[in-house]
Amino acid sequence: MTDNSSTEEMIRLLREISGKLDRILIQGSSDNEPDDGILDVLDVMTLLTLPDHLRTTATALFELGSATADELAERTNKERAVESNYLNQLVRMGHVAKNRKGRKVYFSIGEGLGK
Amino acid sequence: MALTIAVHSYKGGSGKTSFAINLASAYASVGKSVCLLDVDLKAPSSFNYLLPEAKHWVNDIFEGRYGVMDVIKDVSKEMGTKGAFYVGYSNPDILAVREVSSKDRKWQSKALKLLMTAKRDLSDAGIDVVILDTGAGVDFTSVNAIAVADYVISVGRPGASRQRSMEQVIGGVYMPLDKDCYIIENMCHNDNPTDLSGKKFDLPVLASIPCMCDVAVRCDNEVLVLTEPDHSFSKKIYDVMESLDKITS
Ligand SMILES: Nc1ncnc2c1ncn2[C@@H]1O[C@H](COP(=O)(O)OP(=O)(O)OP(=O)(O)O)[C@@H](O)[C@H]1O
Ligand SMILES: [Mg+2]
Repeated sequence: MTDNSSTEEMIRLLREISGKLDRILIQGSSDNEPDDGILDVLDVMTLLTLPDHLRTTATALFELGSATADELAERTNKERAVESNYLNQLVRMGHVAKNRKGRKVYFSIGEGLGK
Repeated sequence: MALTIAVHSYKGGSGKTSFAINLASAYASVGKSVCLLDVDLKAPSSFNYLLPEAKHWVNDIFEGRYGVMDVIKDVSKEMGTKGAFYVGYSNPDILAVREVSSKDRKWQSKALKLLMTAKRDLSDAGIDVVILDTGAGVDFTSVNAIAVADYVISVGRPGASRQRSMEQVIGGVYMPLDKDCYIIENMCHNDNPTDLSGKKFDLPVLASIPCMCDVAVRCDNEVLVLTEPDHSFSKKIYDVMESLDKITS
């Protein structure tokens, strides 16, 4: 095995581990989701109370305005699948709105249906 | 992207506004294109008495009535700066202040989005540096501005109790929002330098500015970095600008 390919292999493994860790985090934090289905507006004080990984995603979305999971993953340097998971979690919490435009799905900070 | 700096402090009256006006003027004086925004909507800063008036208010941005480019006014001619010097004021009328103070979370969420848009618009317009003069303490108006900024400069007066409160806001607001933070110690006493960087967070202190009676009087009527660039207060501000240039380059 050449030096180059072993580095590549290492990076691949690290990515895999990072992805697994992210999935564990999602499972862990899904316990915090409101089960009463209150759609809650995402203001900056609420943002501060989110777990780190969701706060990073939500902050990036505030910055981008509206974005696909791909665009967001590029911004946060995470796997698309992982970012998509976080986004959908934020959608379920009522913080983020999801809109389909043609073949693409765009996410944006929601207007909030609650108070 | 324009370099966006929020000037904040936990306790009031630490010298945020004096620092923000002078830092903005320092950047404009060396030819940078600058925008200084008063986002202290609940206690508007006095720089609308110090700098020329404008037609619209920063409040109009948050209400979605006008975009940031319609609100800001270039005062570089009046101030005699080499670079463009845009300012945006928040409305000091008590009715406007009362209105802002009663806004709900939904409005504040929208306000954050509009402020993010304003930052993008300013970048697109070629502004190099955006300085947000925030209100003291932790509320929507200050934390929204912090969330939008790339850097937070926390201006604090020395003292053990202030040190503890500063640690609270660093750990509970700046860090969770992933901000690069720097400290300005203001109104220090020469023979009693208290280090605000703190053991806990060890943030860099960009300057320690002594308490100077003439600064207290003159800051209300003039912009010292422009009227007296050799004043020791002005020199400290220019030093901060140079440090920031190194940090951001
Ligand atoms: N280094 C200094 N020495 C003496 N006086 C100073 C110094 N820096 C600022 N001041 C004075 O302290 C007062 C408060 O300053 P300033 O209004 O800038 O504080 P602030 O943090 O913006 O206050 P607020 O929290 O109310 O917005 C002003 O009168 C100002 O001139
Ligand atoms: Mg002030």
